[in-house]
Formats: sequence, C-alpha cells, structure tokens
Amino acid sequence: MNFAPETSIDIASAVNRATAPSAEAKIKVEKLNFFYGDNHALKNINFEIPEKRVTAMIGPSGCGKSTLLRIFNRMYQLYPGQRAEGKILFDGADLLSKDLDSTVVRSRIGMVFQKPTPFPMSIYDNIAFGVKLHERLSKAQMDERVEWCLRKAAIWEETKDRLHTSALGMSGGQQQRLCIARTIAVRPEVILLDEPTSALDPISTSKIEDLIDELKQEFTIVIVTHNMQQAARCADITSFFYLGELIEVAASNEIFTNPREARTRDYITGRFG
Amino acid sequence: MTEHIVSSFDTDLKELGRRVVEMGGQSERLVADSVQALVKRDTELAQKVIVLDGPVDLLQREIEEKAVLIIARRQPLAGDLREIVAAMRIANDLERIGDLAKNTAKRVLALTGEFHPQKLVRGVEHMSTIVLEQLKVVLDAYATRDEARALEVWQRDGEVDVLYTSLFRELLTYMMEDPRNISLCTHLLFCAKNIERIGDHATNVAETIHYLVTGQLLTEERPKQDTSSLTSVAFPA
Repeated sequence: MNFAPETSIDIASAVNRATAPSAEAKIKVEKLNFFYGDNHALKNINFEIPEKRVTAMIGPSGCGKSTLLRIFNRMYQLYPGQRAEGKILFDGADLLSKDLDSTVVRSRIGMVFQKPTPFPMSIYDNIAFGVKLHERLSKAQMDERVEWCLRKAAIWEETKDRLHTSALGMSGGQQQRLCIARTIAVRPEVILLDEPTSALDPISTSKIEDLIDELKQEFTIVIVTHNMQQAARCADITSFFYLGELIEVAASNEIFTNPREARTRDYITGRFG
Repeated sequence: MTEHIVSSFDTDLKELGRRVVEMGGQSERLVADSVQALVKRDTELAQKVIVLDGPVDLLQREIEEKAVLIIARRQPLAGDLREIVAAMRIANDLERIGDLAKNTAKRVLALTGEFHPQKLVRGVEHMSTIVLEQLKVVLDAYATRDEARALEVWQRDGEVDVLYTSLFRELLTYMMEDPRNISLCTHLLFCAKNIERIGDHATNVAETIHYLVTGQLLTEERPKQDTSSLTSVAFPA
C-alpha cells in the first residue's frame, strides 16, 4: 500500500499525545526568595509544577511549603513586611509582578485550607458567591454550575435536598468537600490544597483523595501534606522542603522507595531529630 | 543510618533482620548436613536433617507475620520498606533451600543398602562445596549489607551450572556402563539438581541484597550455563 505523504500520520506520537496527559510546566518557579520581615523563609527555589498532575510538597513544620503555596495564591500581598524576589511564571505571566490583578489570579489559582472554611450562608450561596464575582449567570445557569461542582466534589448526593440550609450544619468532611466544590466553581486552572484532610476522619479523607484523583484529569493540583502515605498515594510528583530549601523533587514512586538525598530519606522514614 | 524517632521501630527492624540471619544459619547447616549424610551414608544424620527442616519453616512463617505486622503498624517507606520486603523474600528463598536439603536427606534414606561406589558421589560432593561457599558468602553479605559481595555470588553461579551439566553427563555414562548404578545415579542426579537449585536460591538472595542496598532491581539477565536439559549421551556401540 502506498500512502501519499500528506495522509501519513505518525501513529505512535499521535497515540502518545492522546493518552499521556500533558506534562508541561503550568507554574515555573525561578530563583524565588521570600522574606517575612528579616526572616528568610524560602531560599533560591527553582521548581516546576507540571500541568494536570498532582504535585505534593512535604517537609517538617516551618520548612516553607505553605509559604510557597500562599505565594502562588498571592496571599502574602495581604500582609505588609512580606516580600518575594525572583519569578513565578504562570502560563508565562509573572505572578509576582504588580500588573496582574490578584482577584483574577485567585480565580485561576484556587486554594483550599487545612480547616474547612465555609461561609456562614447556605450551601448554594457558598458556591454562587465566588462565581458571581467573575461571571454573570442566569438562575438556570447558576443552578447548573452549583450542581456541576457539587457533583465534581462528590458531595451532590448528600446535599441536593438541602442546598438552601446553612453550610455550617454539615460535617467536617462535607464542609471540606464543599470548600473544594466552591474552589472549582470558578473553574480555576490550578488548585492548591493546604493539608486538606488533616482534620478529617479516614472515610472523608479517602473521599477527598478519590476526588483529587478525579480532579487531576482537568486541573493542576498542588497539595501540601504531613501525611507521607497520602503524598505517596495521591501525588505524581513529590517535593521535599527543609529549612526553606527545596531538597529533592522526584516522581513519587521513586522518592518513597529510593530517595536520592539522605535528608529526604531520614524525613520520610521518621528519622529526623 | 540514624535511628528512628520511634525507637520501637528500630527494635522491630533489628529483630526481623536477626531472625533472617538465624534462619540463614539454620538452612546453611541443613545443606551441609544433608551432603555429609549422602557422602558418609549416615542415615541418622539424614533423619536429623528431615526433622530440623521443621523449625526453618516455622521461622519463615514468623518472619512473614512479623513483616506484615510492621507494614500494617508503621507504613514503612524507602530503606525501611526495602528492608522488610528483602526480609520476606530472603526468608522464602531460605525456606526453599531447607526443603531441598530435606529432599536430599530423604534420598539418603532411600539408598540404604544400595550398591554405593564412592567415586560416583565425589562429583556431587565437589559441587556442594562451591554451593555451600556461595551460600555462606551471600548470608554474610546480607548481615553486613555488602552489595559487592552479593554481586560476586550472583556472577559465580555459572560455575555451579557448568559443574552440574558435566555431572549430569558423567552419571548418565555410569548408568550405561552398569545397570546396577541406575538406582543410585538417578537419586544422585536429583541430589545434584537439589544442590544446583540451592545455588540458584543463593543468587536470588544476592539479587535481593542488591535491591535492599541500592533500591534498584537487578534487571540484567544472569549468565545461565546449565545446559543439562539439552544434553544427551550416545550409548557406546
């Protein structure tokens, strides 16, 4: 058989493109230094966060991982005396430059905190509130959006009959999943999770881990966790921070069976003193 | 390596390693005794080997239970995880080694009263000397986490294979020479195969040590020189 050159397709690469999720860097951190006043909290961090993957950040308390997460979300700008140097490229735009509007940044990079933080309003309004800031939707469109994100966050079945009751009446695990739903309601590209399950029971934890697995099809996820097994289970890539430095980044498969750095090994095997 | 913050974790791991070493000593002993029993036609020693395989099996179960419990309790990672996986694998190999020694001992009992020319047994004895040495080195390598020595064992197994193949030919020839040799030679052939298999298990242990120390699986194919499956000896005309 003779194919004309214009119809010939490189099948192998086409299959690769179709099946392998893209691994391009969504966020690129370059020579980042961060200061809380005089305290040098992050030291010369160079780091890439690949698109549509789960990246975990681990390390002992005070190592700077939450700080980094907060810089991605521009939370540090709320406090005087905190400053960042270097570059954080988000799809090519520098997150640290003043030209970018923080509200827009936060709609594209959502964040979920350690403790569930539902607003003191109904479940429905918890979600609609953020959406209204960015988009004008009809009632029907808004209903659709609320259902979509509650379904995505695996909490629709539990909430569909009580959408207009207070979110504060939900259990901790449900509240956390509501916060995740609220985060994805504005259709961000990146979701930052700061110890999302540390206050939850094992069942709620499993549900959220299941959710993370589901969400990485569409979103880029960064998770800070103190639970090694959680990082091993959920993350494609794991980074280890210690005293403001990035010590090691590797595929989770590798870092949890055969870490290269002695400090990483000591930390994940519980030998730090 | 520094110690764990939870000191009982260290105690658990040390205990696990200690039992593997103990089990190694016991199975090494069984192999040596089974060959002795064969060479000396010592049925009493053979009986002892058969009985003493029991405690080795028991140790293997204990190691496995302990390893599973540590995994459940401590969710080990990195080197700790490899330590536990290695203990389980090595215990499996040692258990098989014990079984093979026991099988050789049983054959000694079957051979009592048989026609038993010493020269036929020599080859098996010679092969077992090398295998015992291999076993000793690999168990030392485990105790000292010496990956280089483990690799030596891994590479040297070809020698055992070559010996086994030539022994196979030799025994076939003896059988052709005199039909009275057949019973003994067949049993000896199985004994030789047992010992050759013990050598293979020693190389498995070597592979496990390599993984334990480096975190890498030994994917390279080991040079195999056992060609006995392809060997035939023509009947003298």
